Amino acid sequence: MTSIIELLLFPSGLFVLALGLAYEWVDRKLLAQMQNRIGPRWFQPFADLIKLLAKEEIVPEGVNRVLFLGLPVVALAGALTAALYVPLLGLAPAYSFPGDLIVTVYLLSLLTLCMGLAGANTLDRFSLIGATRTLTQLFSYEAPFMLALLAPALVAGTWQISGIVAHADGQWMLLTQPLGFIVAIIGLMGKLEMPPFDAPEAETEIVAGALTEYSGRGYALFRLGKNVELVVGLTLVAAFYLGGVLNPIDFVLKTGGLLLVMVGVHAVMTRMRIEQTVGLWWRYGALLVLVQILIQLVWKVAAA
Amino acid sequence: MTQPIEKIETPKGERFIIPIGPQHPALKEPGHFEFTVDGETVKDATVRLGYVHRGIEKATESRNYIQNLYLLERICGICSHTHAMTYSLGVEKLAGVEAPPRAQAIRVIVAELERIHSHMLWLGVAAHEAGFDTLFMYSWRDRETVMDLLELLSGNRVNYSANVLGGVKFDITPEQAGDVLKGLDFLEGRNRHYLDVVSNDALLLGRIRGVGVMTQADAERLGAIGPTARASGVALDVRIDAPYIAYKDFQPALITETAGDLEARFKVRVREIEESIRLIRLLLEHLPEGELVARMPRRIPAGEAISRVEAPRGEAFYFIKSNGTDTPARVKVRTPTIFNMATVLSLAKGLQLADMPMILVGIDPCFSCNDRMVTVREAERAETWTWNELREHGIKVYQR
Amino acid sequence: MTTQERLQQAAELLAPWTKSTATPEDVRLDVVIDAADLGAAVAALHGARWGYLTAITGLDDGPDAGGLQALYHFIGGAAVVTLRVSLPYDNPTVPSVCGVLASASFFERELAEMFGVTVVDTPNPDRLFLPEDWPDGAYPLRKDYTDVPAPQAD
Repeated sequence: MTSIIELLLFPSGLFVLALGLAYEWVDRKLLAQMQNRIGPRWFQPFADLIKLLAKEEIVPEGVNRVLFLGLPVVALAGALTAALYVPLLGLAPAYSFPGDLIVTVYLLSLLTLCMGLAGANTLDRFSLIGATRTLTQLFSYEAPFMLALLAPALVAGTWQISGIVAHADGQWMLLTQPLGFIVAIIGLMGKLEMPPFDAPEAETEIVAGALTEYSGRGYALFRLGKNVELVVGLTLVAAFYLGGVLNPIDFVLKTGGLLLVMVGVHAVMTRMRIEQTVGLWWRYGALLVLVQILIQLVWKVAAA
Repeated sequence: MTQPIEKIETPKGERFIIPIGPQHPALKEPGHFEFTVDGETVKDATVRLGYVHRGIEKATESRNYIQNLYLLERICGICSHTHAMTYSLGVEKLAGVEAPPRAQAIRVIVAELERIHSHMLWLGVAAHEAGFDTLFMYSWRDRETVMDLLELLSGNRVNYSANVLGGVKFDITPEQAGDVLKGLDFLEGRNRHYLDVVSNDALLLGRIRGVGVMTQADAERLGAIGPTARASGVALDVRIDAPYIAYKDFQPALITETAGDLEARFKVRVREIEESIRLIRLLLEHLPEGELVARMPRRIPAGEAISRVEAPRGEAFYFIKSNGTDTPARVKVRTPTIFNMATVLSLAKGLQLADMPMILVGIDPCFSCNDRMVTVREAERAETWTWNELREHGIKVYQR
Repeated sequence: MTTQERLQQAAELLAPWTKSTATPEDVRLDVVIDAADLGAAVAALHGARWGYLTAITGLDDGPDAGGLQALYHFIGGAAVVTLRVSLPYDNPTVPSVCGVLASASFFERELAEMFGVTVVDTPNPDRLFLPEDWPDGAYPLRKDYTDVPAPQAD
């Protein structure tokens, strides 16, 4: 009974969906304010969702129907499962086992992978180019982002999220591992395809990228998945680098602060071309985080 | 996608074409471009125009000279004053009438305000194409200032209707002049900021520096014009080469850049705003006294006249032939965009797909200027519908 | 170089093909030439780097006044030189100048579709502004054109 509640209502399921919509609103509102616009009202993401769900879903010709309809579900399911393993609201994760960090990170990548497949599944040119870019970008930020989350794990000496959080409790790793933090937060932006890393869905070039052919329910589910990913990603980075999340207020403050930084970066940046993005990640992102881990290892050996 | 599916599948060796327009978020205007790509690299480009032909050149032949003034002002929503002014200058030449000095100065003031408005609009659009939405929002917010100034002077934000044949319709009072100067002070400050952004923002420079380079020789060969040509170092500006009306006494400076890339096109336009501000201040200070309108004959003597005006996008060229009646025998309109369009197609080859929207926008294309001649109707459905029939049809379609 | 010197130079360059000239304005020079000489005349202007082709105007003066004309406007500074070519209604033909001036392609396509002038050897003879299904033989800017011909039933 408890697990059903955990899966469907709290912390995963409906609760994290609502939280995701709330964070989407914060993101849009903050960006609008920074761009000298008014921005949407608080229920706008919710209204968008209902509108999309109510709309007819058009399955284009020449696609694999099962894949086309199934991929959004798989993507959202992946993101929701990931939410079970992270300390949402500062509470203990619903499920936990040694090594759940790896599982969580890959569950998050599942969403991007599904988007890439969804784009490649259709015959639309914009989708195909978008899918290529989505997957190219996935392979560029994934390794540095993963490494950036591993650096705190190395310090804590465990691959279990709750273990790392317990270790990080009150200890701001942002101060001891600034490079890792920068890569983690920029990596999260890449993961969420936020500008300047929005080449995969650059509207002025390829309309909506991989999701161009999606409408109605499929599109709504992908968007929801993105929102959940935003919450999970913010939680992970806040818990690892900002001294853990202790209680709901602490959680809201820290993740909100992170979101503010991300939106600020978004607002002042021009979209990068896909080859610029890849270059940035492999030339600087990977290098920075490797340096960080090297420092960590040397420190650990020296301290021991 | 309207093509049948078997055409879209692209086995090795076949062309993979990315269509942009007439319906595409990059181009909210009805032109159709096809970019043949290999991965992310563009191999070939073609253009198809004419989606919104309105038949204006033909229409001028059935309207009198005064009606045409209003028709031609509506060729373009951005450089509306340019078209009305070029046409008026041509007709005045045919009639042997010259607008009074005060009218000339007011025409130039409106033209320069229009240039500021057009260039700021362009800055926003170009920033949006690059994915820099914050610059887009800010430049369009500031553009409201110049729109408000135009509304203050003329009562309209877009089609100012400043020209009448033989002069202008409204005066500029000293109070209005004061308000305009105040607005210009604000714009000057903002403009300096934008120049700083386009010259120093690292990420934006990553997208515009060295992209789409057009050498001076290329610009001359392909027939580039206006700011696009000036960004490649071609010294072309009708206001300086063949000064008309008040430009004879109030010379603008020639603004050129040598790099020929997108960065140069940004800089040329932003610096031209600066120059326009200087020119307007000068004109407001030395506004000549006198009449606003010279008397025009109703029938224009037979003859042919050519008039040229530097529109925000380059040289606008009008050829007007009169046969001695009150309607022109022929009005030929050559807008700057059609001239620059050829440069896009040749620049595109070898660049990244991601650069295409910016290259396209780099010339500041104006599709309403391009497409102006013929009403397009589908051949199989050529009957004309009245408004009521159209309404009934619409209701029927959406009733289900 | 002053405008008058420019016009003088253009007049000299075009002299071998000139049939008559006119100066409707101080800064303008109208040169009437044969359609066959167009390529050579344009090449002469281009070879001397005299200005650029700003537009090709098609004119239909009606059958009484001598039929069609094609006007090639060149601009050098303030000077405007117009090459004027008269064309008959039956089979109006001009040679393409795109070999010399690549930028003329759009103008030639416009001239061809709007006035029904055959432009020989133009690199891209496709329609520019008119739709693909526009009826053949309907040239909208000719004076005798008043509306689209009624569509034929398939």
